[in-house]
Amino acid sequence: MATDTTTVAPPGAPAGAPRAGRRPALRRDGRYASVFLAPSLGGLALFTLFPTAMALGISLFDWPVFGERSFLGFDNYSHLLHDPVFRRVVLNTVLFVVLYVPLNVVVSLGLAVWLGPQIRGRQVFRVLFFIPVMTPMVANVMVWRLLFQPGGLIDGGLQAWFGIDAPNFLGSSSWAMPAIVAMSIWQGFGYNFLVFSAAIDQVPQSQLESAQIDGAGPLQRFRYITWPMITPSMFFATTMTLITSFQVFAQPFILTQGGPGVATQTIVMYVYNQGWQFLQMGLASAAGWVLFVIIMGITAIQFFGQKRWVNYDV
Amino acid sequence: MKASPARTRRWVTAALSVLALTAVAACGGNNGSGGSSSGSADKADLTWSFWVAGSEDQAAWQKVADQAHTDHAGITVKLQGAPWDSYWSKIGTTLAGGKAPCIIGMQSLRMASYASAMLPLDDLMKKYGLKAEDFDKPIMDGLKADGKQIAIPYDSGPMVIFYNKDMFKAAGVADPKPGWTMDEFKAAAKKLTAAGKTGLVTTPGDLGTMSWVRTMTGAEPLSDGKLNFTDSKFEQGFSQYADFVRTDKIAPQVPGGNPDFETQQFTGGKAAMQLNGPWSLIDTKGKVKFDLGIAPIPAGPDGSKTYTAGSGFGISRSCKTPDAAFQAIMSMTSEKPLTVLAEAGRAYPARTVAHPAWFTAAGIDGAKETIDYASEHSIPLVTSKNWVQVADLLNRFGTQALNGEIPPDQALKTIQDQAGAGS
Repeated sequence: MATDTTTVAPPGAPAGAPRAGRRPALRRDGRYASVFLAPSLGGLALFTLFPTAMALGISLFDWPVFGERSFLGFDNYSHLLHDPVFRRVVLNTVLFVVLYVPLNVVVSLGLAVWLGPQIRGRQVFRVLFFIPVMTPMVANVMVWRLLFQPGGLIDGGLQAWFGIDAPNFLGSSSWAMPAIVAMSIWQGFGYNFLVFSAAIDQVPQSQLESAQIDGAGPLQRFRYITWPMITPSMFFATTMTLITSFQVFAQPFILTQGGPGVATQTIVMYVYNQGWQFLQMGLASAAGWVLFVIIMGITAIQFFGQKRWVNYDV
Repeated sequence: MKASPARTRRWVTAALSVLALTAVAACGGNNGSGGSSSGSADKADLTWSFWVAGSEDQAAWQKVADQAHTDHAGITVKLQGAPWDSYWSKIGTTLAGGKAPCIIGMQSLRMASYASAMLPLDDLMKKYGLKAEDFDKPIMDGLKADGKQIAIPYDSGPMVIFYNKDMFKAAGVADPKPGWTMDEFKAAAKKLTAAGKTGLVTTPGDLGTMSWVRTMTGAEPLSDGKLNFTDSKFEQGFSQYADFVRTDKIAPQVPGGNPDFETQQFTGGKAAMQLNGPWSLIDTKGKVKFDLGIAPIPAGPDGSKTYTAGSGFGISRSCKTPDAAFQAIMSMTSEKPLTVLAEAGRAYPARTVAHPAWFTAAGIDGAKETIDYASEHSIPLVTSKNWVQVADLLNRFGTQALNGEIPPDQALKTIQDQAGAGS
């Protein structure tokens, strides 16, 4: 793969231009490239491609950590399809994504626009907003648990001031997921905020000013100048946020352990529980592959869809 | 950039060396496994895999391990510690792969899952003269699978009620005595529930829930080794237990996913009682600012009934020096290390001769009377092979049942459906 570079013409080289003199150098570059790429390619093959293929194989077996293994064909997949718990788990994951991704983008973009280049002290805000991203998730979740639980800060505060009980956020099926989404947004928006901030900084001040002179209001300036210019960052941010939010694990794992019932259990948690808690590697691998296919599908749709709205020409 | 062929060769050699070193390092990661240890009955370097909570814990348990070397000059035991959760996933894969250390820490509730990869110890007990009657019977039985001894216990404990004596006094409720009834318990808990505080705090943990169900109706979670949650007596007992939160409201709503909630509420003085094991007693006493008391679980129609759980040490089947490993375990569970652990306020010792040291360390009036009574009225909680899954499901759907989100029998049916027969 890496040696392909020897046959690629350098960008901008006119077609049919004499290339004979450049070839040895390119070949050398290709060799260097393959040497430098070898460790990461080796790592990719050993730690990603091989386990992924292995998981596909295991998913076709009844594969307990202890005891006899037996070939099942697609029985694990059909079990997952008919299991009300797994269906709920997929639904929970989708619900998390549907709530989390748009809210995350709105909050981070909103703050990035608001804290534009003209705002004083914006570096301080950037650091402040990025702190939750840098702190370990476990520490964040522990603090939010103290906020949410019965007799916790929210409940205690409401009782002291208004004499009313707060909902049992983490123990109620209807409140647990919104509580996790709220915590996740607080924890995660800082990253996209930085991405959007950097993109907004790249928008030429002169264009914005000339538009202003031409009478364009703030909304129009955002819609017709800023927005087209930040669409590549938007594409990057939404794609990455979607992928990571489909893989959500730590927040529900520590905040609710997937409960009450299975109200906040996500696909990765299901995989973890089946594999490492209940030692059923076959079922865990099958569920892992279901998630892999979902993420691949969504990412592919995004890549095909980007032509319609992402602007690389600026 | 200039690049001579010699320079290129140097680069390639360097890169390959790095790769080779990485591969060697990756392959060399198994050195710690004691399964490959060789030696004789009196001479062996053994590895002991166990759960530890931190460096202080590690040091305390290493002292237990050193007892083996003190007793047998040729035997050394090296402790390989891991935190509780990762311990179990790690031990599962190493046992299955036949690469487990010789000595394995084992908890009675999880033993059914791992017993097939452990060596039965009955012959070794006979050979080296370890007497079962020197240990608490319920936990010795609790570490048996199919009638065979799988591990030798170091700690034991029947579930008992911890209570806040100060809250009892302030509410004018008499201290509970062995033999107190469910009605007396409920009346006390109702009186204690006031001003944002509750008489009880409970979460659907396996040991606690099973103990309440057993004292209420005598129902047990397994019948002929199969999960039996949809049995009508079990449903009835579980439903009465859920009522503590659901209808009686003598205990607060249960938050999902906080295993420490009970302890936090109780030690924080927000709940007057909790069901707990003696293994937590001395630690709890150190944390609380009130006078701590203990009492047996209230008696249902057929008297006070509770469960015992505990942990011990066993030998993996892949161990090549089982004799040496057994002698090490005998030393590690002998009077001296268990007394040292008891004096330090750790586990309630499984060996009866070490009990007095623990009661002295606990310094709680009536503790001996209560624990002896509870022990007599307890049996080991025998679990299914997939108990980890059952306990997980119980936590999930039990929380919903206790909080009144779903009917208790529906919760039990879901658990039974998901967990299957439990093998």
